[in-house]
Amino acid sequence: MDRAAKDKALLDRIGIDQIARNQRARRRGQLGLGLVFMAPALIMVVGVLLVPVLFNIWLSFTKWRKFTGFGEYAGFANYERMPSNPFFNEALINTAIWVGASVVFPIALGLGMAMFFRNLRGAETFKNIIFIPRILAPTAVGVLWFYVYAPDGLLNRGLGLVSGRDVDIGWLYNDATVTPAIIATFVWQTAGLVMVLLLLGLAAIPKDPIEAAHIDGANRWQIFRYITLPLLMPTLLMVTILSVLAGFTVFDLLWVMGANYPGQRSLALAVFMYFEAFQKGSWAFGSAVAVIIGLVVLCVTWFQTVLQARVDRMTR
Amino acid sequence: MAFDISTLDLDAIERREAAKNKGTALKLVAAIGFALLWIVPFYFLAISIFKSSNEYSRNPPLALPEGLAPFWDNVARAWELGSMGQAMMNSAFYGTVGASLAVFFAAMAAFAITRLDIPFRNGWFILIFAGTVFPFQMYLIPLFFGYQKLGLLNSHMGMLLFYTAICVPFPTLVLRNFMSGLSREMDEAARMDGANEFTVFFRIILPNTIGPMTAVFLLQFTWIWNDMLFSTVLGNRLETRSIMNALLVFQGSYSSIGPNIVLTAALLASLPSIVLFFLLRRHFMQGLQVQQS
Repeated sequence: MDRAAKDKALLDRIGIDQIARNQRARRRGQLGLGLVFMAPALIMVVGVLLVPVLFNIWLSFTKWRKFTGFGEYAGFANYERMPSNPFFNEALINTAIWVGASVVFPIALGLGMAMFFRNLRGAETFKNIIFIPRILAPTAVGVLWFYVYAPDGLLNRGLGLVSGRDVDIGWLYNDATVTPAIIATFVWQTAGLVMVLLLLGLAAIPKDPIEAAHIDGANRWQIFRYITLPLLMPTLLMVTILSVLAGFTVFDLLWVMGANYPGQRSLALAVFMYFEAFQKGSWAFGSAVAVIIGLVVLCVTWFQTVLQARVDRMTR
Repeated sequence: MAFDISTLDLDAIERREAAKNKGTALKLVAAIGFALLWIVPFYFLAISIFKSSNEYSRNPPLALPEGLAPFWDNVARAWELGSMGQAMMNSAFYGTVGASLAVFFAAMAAFAITRLDIPFRNGWFILIFAGTVFPFQMYLIPLFFGYQKLGLLNSHMGMLLFYTAICVPFPTLVLRNFMSGLSREMDEAARMDGANEFTVFFRIILPNTIGPMTAVFLLQFTWIWNDMLFSTVLGNRLETRSIMNALLVFQGSYSSIGPNIVLTAALLASLPSIVLFFLLRRHFMQGLQVQQS
């Protein structure tokens, strides 16, 4: 018997064809099985989240308003009339202020405190104190600060005590103070989380380059500027993106604290969208504003992915 | 070479030590200043719930309460006027059932993605994870309209459906990452012994994934408990309202009743998430680390 025939006989005895057939059958079976396992998650996400997003995009091109115009195509009309809406413009400016403030203040404060508390005795206690607001719900934080800013509230009475005369500032009722006041609450609420995330990043930085620089005579600022900061960049990038998204879509605090402010709808885009749809009944226009918010969020997320890839390549 | 102690500039060393101590003291003072900024609003909250309405408006806001007795009255009035019992039951139902279902569905999907031999593994995952990309504003109008058509508006089932769905994508990410790190030898061994995939999932993968599942469950439970927006849009009725929505309504319509009572309601509403946080601090911080990566 020659070699090839001998191998063939051996393989037949093992049943190689049968094994291959079984494997193919198993693969087919596994796709079905996989779909069974994924079905609940897929149905939930596609049915309750993704289909509504597509529906929203479609709605933004219709004339739907109150009880008329549902399904009537309007082209880009809803988008074209945004710039001429004064409330929209004001909301846009305020949202830009929110994004800027929610990046600058929590990160500056969080980074400052992280550097500061890192080598301090009793740092755990301080860290916990700064982190506490995070465990309250945003709604509860809003309610609490509503009474801090109230006309006869904590802040006015405290200022009155310091200055020696009655202070009566309507912090949440004046155009000039309402946004800064709510931003201050937001910073109070989020700085702790930013600090904890930055501390996690700082803890991951190796000690050797810092010690080497120290021996070479670098001062503390130089070490921070040329060693700590660059090594902290990936964490800072992540925190910045989180802050941009949080500032861009802030809603709960504005809804609770701005409840009595006459210009509430112009406090931010998210509030404007809610107001247009659910209080004025401009469904299609509200959908268009929601699409704009979605586009910006998508752009920021995409930007993050690109930057993240670049940072990963640099650190590798 | 012998060391000559007289060459040491002892004064300089002392000066440096003193400067260091002074620096630490300054730091401590600054740290206490910051901590005060963070504590004072909490202190204000903590003492206001012990004051009667009359006392609240009469005394300075940071004055200690005259007695602890008004607390129970405040709780009783907040509970009754704010319908907090009903709202707490609702939120507890949405939170426990919704987050459990979501985490379980996510574990099933993660199992299929990491363990079964299916085409487009990553595609399926991205499809599920796409649920986290869009801002909440894009869901509001279509869901409101769709719920109205389907009769789900202002129903417990409708609220539960949404909360379950919104809590699926993030746990899927976490559990997929965790499961792909689990050793494959265990489940291969079980398959050799004739176990089918359901047995592998329930008897081998799930018991090994309890830790991360608990962590994401807590994160998602807290999210649902703290949600106000979707309850105002999809279930703004006394019977279906979530606790945060009830707090908002209470503050809006009963503000004349006195800040002390509304503040008591705010504390009551936050209590479960505060207790959870302190009981399960370790899990929470783990979740934070998971969230960041």
